Amino acid sequence: MEGAENPNAKTLRSEFPALVKEAGLVALVVFGLSISLVGLKIEDVPGGLDVITRFGQVAAATIIAFLGRLALALLREKRPLLVFIGGAALVLVMIGLLAGDSFHPEWQLSRFFPFDSTVVNALVTVFWSGIAIYAGWLLWAVSTKTRSVDSAWAERVGAGIKGRAYVFVPLLLVLAAVLPFLPFADRRLLDIAILVVTYIMLGWGLNIVVGLAGLLDLGYVAFYAVGAYSYALLATYFDLGFWICLPFAGIMAAFAGVLLGFPVLRLRGDYLAIVTLGFGEMIRVILLNWYKFTKGPDGISGIPRPTFFGLPFTRNPPEGAESFHSFFGLTYSPLDRIIFLYYIILILALVTNFFTLRMRRLPLGRAWEALREDETACRSLGINPRNTKLTAFAIGAMFGGFGGSFFATRQGFISPESFTFIESAIILAIVVLGGMGSQIGVVFAATLLIGLPEFFRELQQYRMLAFGAAMVTIMVWRPRGLLAQREPTIRMSQGPPAEERG
Amino acid sequence: MTVAVRQSADRRHILTVEHLTMQFGGLLAIDDVSFAARDRDITAVIGPNGAGKTTIFNCLTGFYKPTVGRLTLHHPERGDLYLERMEGYEIPQRAGVARTFQNIRLFPSMSVLENLIVAQHNALMRASGYSIGGLLGWNRYKAAEREAVELARYWLDRIRLTERADWDAGNLPYGDQRRLEIARAMCTRPVVLCLDEPAAGLNPRESAELNELLIFIRDEHQIGLLLIEHDMSVVMEISDRIIVLDYGRRIAAGTPREIQANPDVIRAYLGETEDEPLPPAVVKDLERPT
Repeated sequence: MEGAENPNAKTLRSEFPALVKEAGLVALVVFGLSISLVGLKIEDVPGGLDVITRFGQVAAATIIAFLGRLALALLREKRPLLVFIGGAALVLVMIGLLAGDSFHPEWQLSRFFPFDSTVVNALVTVFWSGIAIYAGWLLWAVSTKTRSVDSAWAERVGAGIKGRAYVFVPLLLVLAAVLPFLPFADRRLLDIAILVVTYIMLGWGLNIVVGLAGLLDLGYVAFYAVGAYSYALLATYFDLGFWICLPFAGIMAAFAGVLLGFPVLRLRGDYLAIVTLGFGEMIRVILLNWYKFTKGPDGISGIPRPTFFGLPFTRNPPEGAESFHSFFGLTYSPLDRIIFLYYIILILALVTNFFTLRMRRLPLGRAWEALREDETACRSLGINPRNTKLTAFAIGAMFGGFGGSFFATRQGFISPESFTFIESAIILAIVVLGGMGSQIGVVFAATLLIGLPEFFRELQQYRMLAFGAAMVTIMVWRPRGLLAQREPTIRMSQGPPAEERG
Repeated sequence: MTVAVRQSADRRHILTVEHLTMQFGGLLAIDDVSFAARDRDITAVIGPNGAGKTTIFNCLTGFYKPTVGRLTLHHPERGDLYLERMEGYEIPQRAGVARTFQNIRLFPSMSVLENLIVAQHNALMRASGYSIGGLLGWNRYKAAEREAVELARYWLDRIRLTERADWDAGNLPYGDQRRLEIARAMCTRPVVLCLDEPAAGLNPRESAELNELLIFIRDEHQIGLLLIEHDMSVVMEISDRIIVLDYGRRIAAGTPREIQANPDVIRAYLGETEDEPLPPAVVKDLERPT
């Protein structure tokens, strides 16, 4: 049938050996990697260590990789029928097995699972569903011929998200606002949500520096640390509350940003990145070694929790004082405090976002973007590059500081361990993968990069694989970031554009 | 198209360059060059490659600090300003010297209109109360922004890019980018505009449009223009005065007609006629192994 459409197409029989060879090569790589990583496991047993072999899982991984590559190769050759049938069969079997096992554990269907971990099995199913759905879509597109089948569909989906921001953004806002009251919102989900929103806020803060002003900052965690320690030290030394310390923490972090920025902002690109990296480490080392002041590696504990207009979230308030639940006549629930924390960080994040969107349309924000584009041209237009960069650095640092003091009050305990380089790298990855300068891109990237690994906690040390997989997927799918389109901040035709929110 | 020789003797000087010398290590890029540019004149700086033209521009616009010399801008409102003492960004901001670049330097992923708005940064910055008022939504800032858009629209109409105001500047055709860069420089409301090879890479039609634009700027906005150019059709047609440089020295100055007749210029710039021997310095250059 397809041969009739395209007389030059090779027959399946003639190209099959090449496809099998390609898939075999991939299977070989997977085998080579998994034989040591998956096949052998060292475990603690009474009386020492023992090597456990899991060659069944190696075989499963190799076969799945072989079939997956074969399916992708067939799809590439525009032969979806076989893939659709095979993929659908595989998915149905897997779903049957998974469902059967969860309803009737006594049948011991889990013996037939390719892998031990339910999450991995589910992932394999999802992956194959994706292939089968794509194959089905190709079949449908070929048979109806109403749509052109091209590889740019992913590009259009990405662009479409941005184009329909007016639908997505209110939807996301409403979802974020009601999240704690949804039926499935438990402690675990809320904790993950707080973590994700914290990173969204940090991403938005760093976006000012990296996305708008184009200053590659590898030491953003330093300002996060300054904010956290400012709050923790002010609170423990002077007995001040969260709400009084929050602005101070921001000011301190901004001051640290100016202090760092003043000497180094004449550097550009890679050089700036290295110096900021060094600064990030310096702050951590100072916190670690200034024992008398910061308690060094012991960290600071007993950081006060935030209060609701002076009402603490404790079960038993001290004599003569009220707490949140007694004041409002509610029964005590430990979840109240978590929900309150969630709303604090949500509001902080939205303030950051609103500020950035507003700034973008002011001369200073436009100068930031112009500096990113061409510093020399900026100078020739009378823009003072040093001051402009300093404001970007200081404002980005300030939001990092707000985030830091929130982190301190949420954890109740901080130590220099929390402010290592990996944090800077993750925040930067969120900004870059979201699409530099895109506010809503940061939301998606943070959800992917922070949310996914948290949901895959079951995989223990391998959960960072989810982080890596998300990163690789984005880089392959959208090399310039998820949502890289830039909206002009002012238009000649219909006045200023609608604000992009998120 | 020929331009009538303008009587420029009555015009006052806007820019005086005295004993400008620029040394990079052992290389003397500019050697004791002095000249003056008059207000409402187009002054062209020409010379063979490596004669030091762009270096002079970079000294004037603060990208280099001259080794020796005084660069005085006679500002109509602020009096005499010494450019060699100013920071790079202060020269456009306080002295009103704007420039364009040999290799176009727009903000490519910002829109055409945004490019022109960024050029009005300092005025808008003051109107927005250094961002604080802008964040609070001052009406004063909104009015200033509308005014800035009007100035941008004026220049867009002039360079016929109003239709493409919302395009990314980097997506414009080459000739449009050249003219946009000039418009952007004009949006800083300069008293002197320095153009570094504005006709480079333009076809004859675009080149003629450029001449028209430069003459319009000179006549309507009454500012001084300083021009580096290789394209002789541009230089000879629109310049009021020409300064000729060779190996970092000024070898001639005068009206286009005087320059065309100057034997030194012909020798240094337009080349030797075939029956004349090459000067010894050139022969030595050619024999030197590379």
